[in-house]
Amino acid sequence: MSAKRSLHIEAKCNPDEVRRAAEIAEDFAQGEDWPLKVVFQVKLALEEVMMNVVSYAHEDGDNHQIDLDLVSDAEALTIEISDDGQPFDPLTDAPSPDLQASLEDRHVGGLGVHLVRTMMDEVHYRRERGRNLLTLVKLRDG
Amino acid sequence: MVKIEQENGTLITKVEGRIDGANAREFEDAVKSAIGESSHAVIMDLEDLAYISSAGLRVILLTAKDLWKRDAKFALCSLPDPIREVVEIAGFDKIIQVYVSRAEALASLSG
Repeated sequence: MSAKRSLHIEAKCNPDEVRRAAEIAEDFAQGEDWPLKVVFQVKLALEEVMMNVVSYAHEDGDNHQIDLDLVSDAEALTIEISDDGQPFDPLTDAPSPDLQASLEDRHVGGLGVHLVRTMMDEVHYRRERGRNLLTLVKLRDG
Repeated sequence: MVKIEQENGTLITKVEGRIDGANAREFEDAVKSAIGESSHAVIMDLEDLAYISSAGLRVILLTAKDLWKRDAKFALCSLPDPIREVVEIAGFDKIIQVYVSRAEALASLSG
């Protein structure tokens, strides 16, 4: 479980591919002995990030792909999600949900990024060579 | 995905499996057609829900808002731990009634 292992996944920009990629990542995390709770959180965070790309990054979605690079070692599970869509930093460009609002006033949406931020130990965004690169980190002792 | 049951005038929608961005629309349609125009109390039983993402949470929130407008009671019950965690992070436990068991939800909603 402490050995460093990595996995590369490519997915087309559509919801079925997002599901397929998230399930492959889930199997990988499970195989690397991450607790079930973490496996669930990582799968969810991955889906949220990829669905954002599917929804916002392209006008011609299916011609693009999302690249995932997972690395698991003794300390952390690190996932880099990369796409060549329009610049989109979910950490600053996505609206935050108003968690204090009443049911009547509560807006629908903005939940995905909130879930990712809350469930991951670290989230970093950078734009590099025309690509969005989002890094998620989950620590073993997090 | 959604099984419909009735108990003492309360509609119970039992959600099973996994709800994500690929099938959230199907989930939304199933819940809408189960509830219809009724203003009876609705309990969404999540005991057999294995996974939900924000796409599915959106449907739960829309359902809660819709029923609130009709003055119909709505509650969630029997959430497995990972689902409860997601529901709490989303802040839904502050705006939607959440019960540990279906029996508790039924007792409360029929009272």
